[in-house]
Amino acid sequence: MYRLLIGLLLLSLPSLVMAQKTEGVVEYRRITHWSKIYTRMTYLSQEQKDRIMLRSKNWEEDNKGEKMKLLFTPTQSLYTYSGDASESEDAGYSWRQSELIMTRNFEKERQMDIMEMLGKVYIVDDSLRTPTWKIGNQIKEVAGYICMKAETTDPIKNQTITAWFAQDIPVSAGPERVSGLPGLILELDLNDGDVEIIAQSVTLRPVTAEELKLPKTKGKKITEADYNAMVKKKIAESIAAHENPYWSIRY
Amino acid sequence: MRNLFLLGALCLLTTVLHAQTPTRFTLQGRAVDTLNNALPSSTVMLLSPKDSSMVNFGRTDDKGAFTFKNLRAGSYILKVTFVGYIPYNALIKNGDEAVLDLGGLKLKPITRELMEVVVRTAKAPLTIKGDTIEYNAASFKVPPGSTVEDLLRKLPGVQIDQDGNIRAQGQAVNKVTVDGKQFFGSDPKLATKNLQADAITKVQVFNDKTEQAKLTGIDDGKKEKTVNLQLKDEFKKGGFGKLTAGAGPASNNVSTRYDVRGNYNKFDSKRQLSAVLLGNNTNQGGLSWNDYQDFRGSNSFNWNDDADFGFSGSGRYITFGDDNESLSIPISGGDNRGFTRNLAGGVNYNYDTKKTKLSTSYFFNQTIQDLATLRKQDRSLPGATQLITRDSSIQLNRNANHRISLRFEKQLDTMQTLVVISNGRVGIGNTNLASFQRINQSISKSPEQLYSTSNTTNGTQANQFALANTALYRLKFKKKGRSFAASATYQLTNNDADLLLKSRNDFYQATTVNDMFRNLRNLNQDQNTSLLSNQYKANLLYVEPFAKKFYWETFYNFSLRFDEVERGVFNLDDSRRRVDSLSLYYKNNYTYNRLGSSVRYSYKGLNLSAGLAGQSFVLDGKYNRDRSQELIPIRRTYNTLIPNIGLNYDLKNNKYLYGSYTVGVQIPSSRDLQPVRTITNPLYVTTGNPNLLPGLNKEVQVGFSYFNPGSFINFWSNVFTSWNDNQIVYGQSVDTETLITTTSPENISGGRSTGGYLNFGFPLKKTKATLNLNGQFSAGRSFTPIRQTRLVGGVTEVVPGTDILNQTQNQNINGGARLELTPKDWITFYGNANVNITNARYSVNVGQNQTIYTYTYRGDLNLKFPKDIYLNTTFNYRSYINDQLGFRQQVPILNTSLYHIIGKAKRAEVRLSAYDLLNRNVFVSQYNGQNYIQTESIQTLARHFLLSFTYNMRGVTAKMRRQDFY
Repeated sequence: MYRLLIGLLLLSLPSLVMAQKTEGVVEYRRITHWSKIYTRMTYLSQEQKDRIMLRSKNWEEDNKGEKMKLLFTPTQSLYTYSGDASESEDAGYSWRQSELIMTRNFEKERQMDIMEMLGKVYIVDDSLRTPTWKIGNQIKEVAGYICMKAETTDPIKNQTITAWFAQDIPVSAGPERVSGLPGLILELDLNDGDVEIIAQSVTLRPVTAEELKLPKTKGKKITEADYNAMVKKKIAESIAAHENPYWSIRY
Repeated sequence: MRNLFLLGALCLLTTVLHAQTPTRFTLQGRAVDTLNNALPSSTVMLLSPKDSSMVNFGRTDDKGAFTFKNLRAGSYILKVTFVGYIPYNALIKNGDEAVLDLGGLKLKPITRELMEVVVRTAKAPLTIKGDTIEYNAASFKVPPGSTVEDLLRKLPGVQIDQDGNIRAQGQAVNKVTVDGKQFFGSDPKLATKNLQADAITKVQVFNDKTEQAKLTGIDDGKKEKTVNLQLKDEFKKGGFGKLTAGAGPASNNVSTRYDVRGNYNKFDSKRQLSAVLLGNNTNQGGLSWNDYQDFRGSNSFNWNDDADFGFSGSGRYITFGDDNESLSIPISGGDNRGFTRNLAGGVNYNYDTKKTKLSTSYFFNQTIQDLATLRKQDRSLPGATQLITRDSSIQLNRNANHRISLRFEKQLDTMQTLVVISNGRVGIGNTNLASFQRINQSISKSPEQLYSTSNTTNGTQANQFALANTALYRLKFKKKGRSFAASATYQLTNNDADLLLKSRNDFYQATTVNDMFRNLRNLNQDQNTSLLSNQYKANLLYVEPFAKKFYWETFYNFSLRFDEVERGVFNLDDSRRRVDSLSLYYKNNYTYNRLGSSVRYSYKGLNLSAGLAGQSFVLDGKYNRDRSQELIPIRRTYNTLIPNIGLNYDLKNNKYLYGSYTVGVQIPSSRDLQPVRTITNPLYVTTGNPNLLPGLNKEVQVGFSYFNPGSFINFWSNVFTSWNDNQIVYGQSVDTETLITTTSPENISGGRSTGGYLNFGFPLKKTKATLNLNGQFSAGRSFTPIRQTRLVGGVTEVVPGTDILNQTQNQNINGGARLELTPKDWITFYGNANVNITNARYSVNVGQNQTIYTYTYRGDLNLKFPKDIYLNTTFNYRSYINDQLGFRQQVPILNTSLYHIIGKAKRAEVRLSAYDLLNRNVFVSQYNGQNYIQTESIQTLARHFLLSFTYNMRGVTAKMRRQDFY
């Protein structure tokens, strides 16, 4: 909602020192805890959930996740896989990453996401949507930055989202489809630890327009509302079919 | 939807606010530190006092000033934050003024100590809630085994004196609570000295009301410094268990039925202890996959434990012709043959930390099986000759095994891992077999004529001991993709078997009376076999990345195996005289070396590899009838070049393509190499062949799969073709007068096999009905040398014109459909139909070409009734037809069970089950191979009833749906 107000706000222009802190690239690790996600599957019995939890305990501990990166400027951001994300940790085997590029333009208030889901490439193109954030009272350090806690919910996937944003990087960007905080989001926690996206490093450097350009991708253009409806439908269908929906849609 | 709602709420709110103070206002202020220095670039946020949701934000300028213009009237929480300072919070409520100037807002610094130690060093979040300061203790590094006291010592602002008294922020702590509850009375030291630090996730230090104030409800103004320790969620210990006991009355000529199974599991974040026990006489088998996972827990599956390195992907190593039972815990579904009694049980303990993983288990299983079998075999021989063997037997098998396992994994540092695996098995088995065999011959479909009969009783007693120890070391390098691994294995096998063979054989068409037959008429033998095998293996693997997308992989395998076998056959009718012609002693040393290398391209889902290995296999042995005689040396060297190609291609939109070219090597087993006759069935004698070469199997396969998660459509297919060089095939020599068959392994090239598989599944109605169609075909040819022999003057010679190479051409087509109906919560149905047609043509006797049909239909209905009552009914109909043999058998099996889940917690279940209501059960199999067709029927446990009770600590769930994988 504050989006409507943002224009009314008088922003004191950042000093030179600040200017350097508004462009750069963040490297994240995105760790998906599948056995936790399975505990949310209503069609599984407690016995099945416990079995999954116990048998995959050691894999979960070794789960190093996938590498993601976020390029950001005061007005734009682009989030996608980082370099060798499609390779196994000890190399030697690579897999194909499904298409995933998420961009935000805070100036023009646009968002455009290229996402492969449900066996198709979709381009979600719409005006910028940001959630209503609740600001918490915790601070902690992520990748060398002191971050504050903020929380919101995703009503479509019925998830709680916890974000830790840097107090001294005044950019509203963030990983995944999340943004709109007074500082850059360096850590994201989906649904109480089901998925964690944690910054490993922040490099402040000028980001060129070239880097922020979307590659030409064929895909079906849809709106945010279409996307939400699709996700909602898939989740309902999968649960009815006793399948984990998050094998084919991003958590 | 949500946005709409918010908009609505906001409109409403706005209206209300407008009614009160219809003006907008400007809010301004300045962020300063305690010395009134400006804090530029501070974050300023306006939150809704209702739920702290952010409505606006901004930054202070270089003078620390901020301004929010045009704010809607109302109240806000103003939050000003600056790195290293306690966030400033204040409730703002505007009156009638147009500009609300808050002036200098002082931010207090967070003590450097807290910042440095808690936030930076320990990377623990810090929560400021009024007077509560909360640390997340999870990441405070204390050595394993430390108590909470040691942990508290590390926390800034906390002091602990020699006696263990705690002071926090200068004040004495009189109360320590755990999860908000008093821990062991009022002495705070009890908690801090006794609790393990790694059980704690958070330490909260705050001022609590005194107990007095809590009791009376009157705040006496006194505050007690309190420390609350929050326990880790996962550290909360857990335990679960399940017990099922069922029994059924004796009926239908079978005794009382029972089925008991139980397991218990106790775990915390590191340890897991589990036990399982089961026993039944209902053909229900031993451990299921689910039982296995509950039993082994975090050690159910371990990747990367294969110490025999080779081409990654398929074609890893070499297969030896061993038939020892596996060292790992057996998983068996119901073996629905005969009458089976099962008993199994074990204990498993796992201890897992990030760096060390230990798993040990003991497992015992015993199977006692009664088999009454009728078998008919129709074998084609040259000259339109058919050999018809009818065999009826009664067999009692008892097999018991004790298994122990140990697996230890240690992360030496971030680059090095060590895995030690040790598995052992002690097995005791005995078999009692009584069989009556008749062999008839028919030439050009003339009436059958009886040639031979055999009346045999076998009693086998075998003791086995096997042990395998492996150490596996893996090293990673700084350069990504470079890796090294080394492994060493020691395997020991010791088998002792004793067979008492008693047999009466009659030959009705034998005209030449000679020694061989005379000796075969009555057999009363004691056959002893002892085997001692020691094997040492060493393996190396090195992977070097180059040119970014390529990996060069090199492996070396070495194996040294020493076998010592003594087989003594004694004639019990002749005061245990040793029968030299059937006895054997040998010592074999096998040396195996393999060096291989491959290059792999791996980038964005395309993985393509090509490699070549050279292997050398040397057999250095000596043998004779008896160890006291001079041993005859036997030496064989086999050198082989093995190419390997692999493809894995991960395509867009859930399409996946894979293919491979592999060469498998089959090394002759030592039994196959010894030129000695073995008799366990007097009408079917086996003998070895010292000239045997290793068999090579070359295979090309390509597969494709596709899944559409949106429409739930899936498709898989694959095709393969394989051909054999020097395939090890058992040639047959049939004596014309007695029809005794002697088989001997030979190398034959030219065997081939081609096949394909196709599966297509799609929803008829999403989430309600799914149809799955599959088809499979295979065609192949195989060769069998067949000879007819006769005895001339005591010497066996081949009957002229009967030494032929039979070519068998097989075609098999299999088609199936599976329907899954899950229309409502209270009804589900699963049905499938399957048709299997096998066609076999024999060059040796075209008149014997066969077509075998097997039809299978199955329906599985689940119904849910009110009051937690459920019904499951399955109907299984199988039909076996072979017109050539005049064999037709239909087996309809109807099972049903009615069950009721009891209690509010739904932890118990009562179940009444009826198996094979139509009382038609018999186990049937049809098989065609080489130059014969065989049908087999085994009398099997038929109609019986079971009343069972289950208690499951985690709750009983009705099985309305099939849940094959999750």
